[in-house]
Amino acid sequence: MALAFKSTGTRQLKNSLAKWLITLGGISVLFTLVLIFMYLLYVIKPVFDSATVEQTSQLSLTSSTKTLSVGVDELKEVAYQINELGDIRFYRLTDKNGHKIGSQLFSQQLVSNGGEIKHVVDSGINYKLIVDSNNNNIVIAPKFQSVYTADSREIIARIDYPLGEEPLELDENNASFSKIAFAMDSEKAVFVAKTNDGRLIKTTLLSEDSFDYDPAFDTIFQEIEFYSKKVDEILITPDLSLAFVQSGNTISVFELDDEDNVTLKTEIKPKTTITSMALLSGSSSILIGDNKGQISQWFEVAGEGGRDFQKIRSFNNSTGEVVAKIYTEQFRKSFYGVTATGVVDVFYTTSEAQLWNGKLVSSQPDAFAVSPRSDAIIVVNNNDLKIFSVHNEHPEVTWSALWNEVWYEGYAEPDYIWQSTSGTDDFEAKFSLVPISFGTIKAAFYAMLFAVPIALTAAIYTAYFMTPALRKKVKPTIELMEALPTVILGFLAGLWLAPLIESYLPAIFLMVIFLPLSTLIAAFAWYKLPKELKIKIPETLAPVILIPVILVSVYFAFALSPVLELHMFGGDVRQYITNELGINFDQRNALVVGIAMGFAVIPTIFTMAEDAIFSVPRHLTSGSLALGATQWQTLIKVVLLTASPGIFSALMMGLGRAVGETMIVLMATGNTPILDWSIFQGMRTLAANIAVEMPESEVGSSHYRILFLAAFVLFVFTFVVNTLAEFIRQRLRDKYSSL
Amino acid sequence: MISVTPKAVIDSPNKIDLANLSPEQVALEIKNLNLYYGEKQALQNISMAIPKGQVTAFIGPSGCGKSTLLRCINRMNDLVDICKITGEINLHGENIYGRHVDVAELRRAVGMVFQRPNPFPKSIYENVVYGLRIKGENNRRVLDEAVEQALKSAALWNEVKDRLHDSALGLSGGQQQRLVIARAIAIQPEVLLLDEPTSALDPISTLTIEELINDLKQQFTVVIVTHNMQQAARVSDQTAFMYMGDLIEYSDTNTLFTTPSKKKTEDYITGRYG
Repeated sequence: MALAFKSTGTRQLKNSLAKWLITLGGISVLFTLVLIFMYLLYVIKPVFDSATVEQTSQLSLTSSTKTLSVGVDELKEVAYQINELGDIRFYRLTDKNGHKIGSQLFSQQLVSNGGEIKHVVDSGINYKLIVDSNNNNIVIAPKFQSVYTADSREIIARIDYPLGEEPLELDENNASFSKIAFAMDSEKAVFVAKTNDGRLIKTTLLSEDSFDYDPAFDTIFQEIEFYSKKVDEILITPDLSLAFVQSGNTISVFELDDEDNVTLKTEIKPKTTITSMALLSGSSSILIGDNKGQISQWFEVAGEGGRDFQKIRSFNNSTGEVVAKIYTEQFRKSFYGVTATGVVDVFYTTSEAQLWNGKLVSSQPDAFAVSPRSDAIIVVNNNDLKIFSVHNEHPEVTWSALWNEVWYEGYAEPDYIWQSTSGTDDFEAKFSLVPISFGTIKAAFYAMLFAVPIALTAAIYTAYFMTPALRKKVKPTIELMEALPTVILGFLAGLWLAPLIESYLPAIFLMVIFLPLSTLIAAFAWYKLPKELKIKIPETLAPVILIPVILVSVYFAFALSPVLELHMFGGDVRQYITNELGINFDQRNALVVGIAMGFAVIPTIFTMAEDAIFSVPRHLTSGSLALGATQWQTLIKVVLLTASPGIFSALMMGLGRAVGETMIVLMATGNTPILDWSIFQGMRTLAANIAVEMPESEVGSSHYRILFLAAFVLFVFTFVVNTLAEFIRQRLRDKYSSL
Repeated sequence: MISVTPKAVIDSPNKIDLANLSPEQVALEIKNLNLYYGEKQALQNISMAIPKGQVTAFIGPSGCGKSTLLRCINRMNDLVDICKITGEINLHGENIYGRHVDVAELRRAVGMVFQRPNPFPKSIYENVVYGLRIKGENNRRVLDEAVEQALKSAALWNEVKDRLHDSALGLSGGQQQRLVIARAIAIQPEVLLLDEPTSALDPISTLTIEELINDLKQQFTVVIVTHNMQQAARVSDQTAFMYMGDLIEYSDTNTLFTTPSKKKTEDYITGRYG
């Protein structure tokens, strides 16, 4: 009979089926991980894409005179031009609804009596002041309106006159202006002008109600004391509070808020030749361009002598040529520096990034405008109008802005700030990952500080000294703690523990002393107890004697707390800490988080460390004891050493849990993104930050993507920690495990 | 009769009379020793004297109490909670179960080697000096000397002298067991207890250990537990045969293996049970 080494059909089938299933399971775990990784990167990637500027269309303008001003609607479908002869003309930029690209849809004459336009001054995107050669001043607002017909949308353009169609009287003496600046909101319009008879004047139009409904207003004329005859440029901030008057290489800053008296606030004297200036969005910063191609940003900083303008940072354009003109975006801190040769450099101020540069037209453009959504620029040069689409979604985010100190407007110095949202439109989001990464580490640190000593000593005692009968009860009980939902822990920590700690702060610190002390005293008393008494208590129950001891010492700590507070801390520890020690005290602080999260971490560390210590082979401990070592020496020199790989991975698992933990830190920290190690201050962690902000974040925004980046950082952090931990554990195991 | 030639027959320079030992000749004196695991009595009224500078073997079938008796000598049974002991074991006239005996000191005087090699997960050097270090000895020169001495005594020096600081876990089973012996003798005990020291080893390693035991008795009193009768015959001067917790017969090895006085002993050594 031939021997059959073939296994029978079903057995082999089962075997290979099991093999494939297990392989499939393993691969899909890896695949899922990679997929998560890829998805996070996919969402994050656009943040770090560099900006692009591409020409989308070009059209020849129908007027042949010089273009003074240009603009475009939000959807980039209609552009307009204002030329020297006082015409405003609207052109189509798309061929929708059967129209031709470049066809004119509307035009209007803004200047009467055959005059020419001398100045066009913009205030925001909406308003334009037109000053003509007959010294007539009017304010217009080009408007675009969408009209919906059966199945299409048409844009209709019109001109609004927010301050009335009649020419405005801006000077009592009716002088003409050599320079004029203007800014308005719905209640007030402010004009600052240099007259040709040598005066610097301020004229304020105060709305009776609101310019949005009624153009009626009162006029206030003021004259500004100014030493210089020469004025090169005037700018007014959109909030109507400051005027910047450039005369040569000095910029005088006037305060405009006072209707009775215009005062010189300060003078900015950059040590360069000023060739252009512009206001950055948000009206706090002024940008100054010079003849060497440098653009510097200045804003007010609180210093020793009060608030004063300081040069914050500067940018060099790509050519080193004279900065002929600076154009800023409406809502973001980006700006465009333009040279006489038509080279455009795009910068973002706070991230200190040069986003793009290139030559768009052959010479300095006649007119240049950034679209309302900052996604396009239009440039007019020699009666050619060019539209460039700008892909620059996340200029404020650079790697260095995320991880380095950034000097934000209004701050005294560069700092790490996370402040993603605010109530106002001109708010600049501040995305520094440093405070929230720090918060993660701080929370984990305090949690580990609380958990590690307790969990490890408990593990050592349970595994090495406790009687098997008691161990059988204690171990599952502590393991059960792990099943406690962290939201309950967070809830208790935030609503019960935090106020308790606040009102019994001394008790918490007394317990740190009392608990070990009372335990030691109890242990000593037990040791000194006569043998006859000791025998009556089963060894299993001996540790249980500690429970009343601990309860009593906790009671004493709490009972002593008010007494201590009264006699040592002047009746209120909180005030003592704040006033005497100068430390800020938050109710939800690192102490609360340390205890609450420590509580969550203890079972993780305990279980694994206990297993590791318990599985140290008996023959090793016997070997040590047989050499005359005491139990304690055996524990330190043999047991812990042999169990060290397991203890190490227990600690790392605990750390991983503390770093990724969300609910407890969310509910018990106060979520303040500050950089402070203080135990009395809160923190905001990466995980909690994502949980808090993701619901309110606009999909696809910088904020949204940075939250994904935060998730990615968290992911990488845990990944690195775990890999490192596993690596070290393997090394330890090779070295110390005995079997 | 079995065809074992006891070593003691061939060369027994210091033949002694077990029944009439002078006090100087006694290393250990066990008196009326009873041991209970809970309700169960594991050792029944054992009395014997173990002579100094000799190898005494405990033999007997599994579960006869020979290892338990051995573990009584350095109080390793203390670690078992349910274990209760009555009677005395005297080491130079002092009862080791007395009230004021420091167990750690006792174990320094009575070293022990276990069935399975149990080196600590440390270097060879650190393994050998372990006992000295826990005694508080940290003088490098003393430790170096002790290591060399102990390893030479354990016949391991030549094999490991170039890698003293490598992990002890890299040694072979036989080397590990000799290392454990070196570790035990590094603290200069008076008595060395060997609990089936070769049961986990291959024949060649076993032979090395057996030769080592013969050398060790120059310096120490050796008590060995073995289930291997040939080994007992080869290495020991005295043999005690135990059965079911009783000490059945205790005499010099030669006598016990050639002319046993008890029926049970004869049955055991001729292989009728065991």
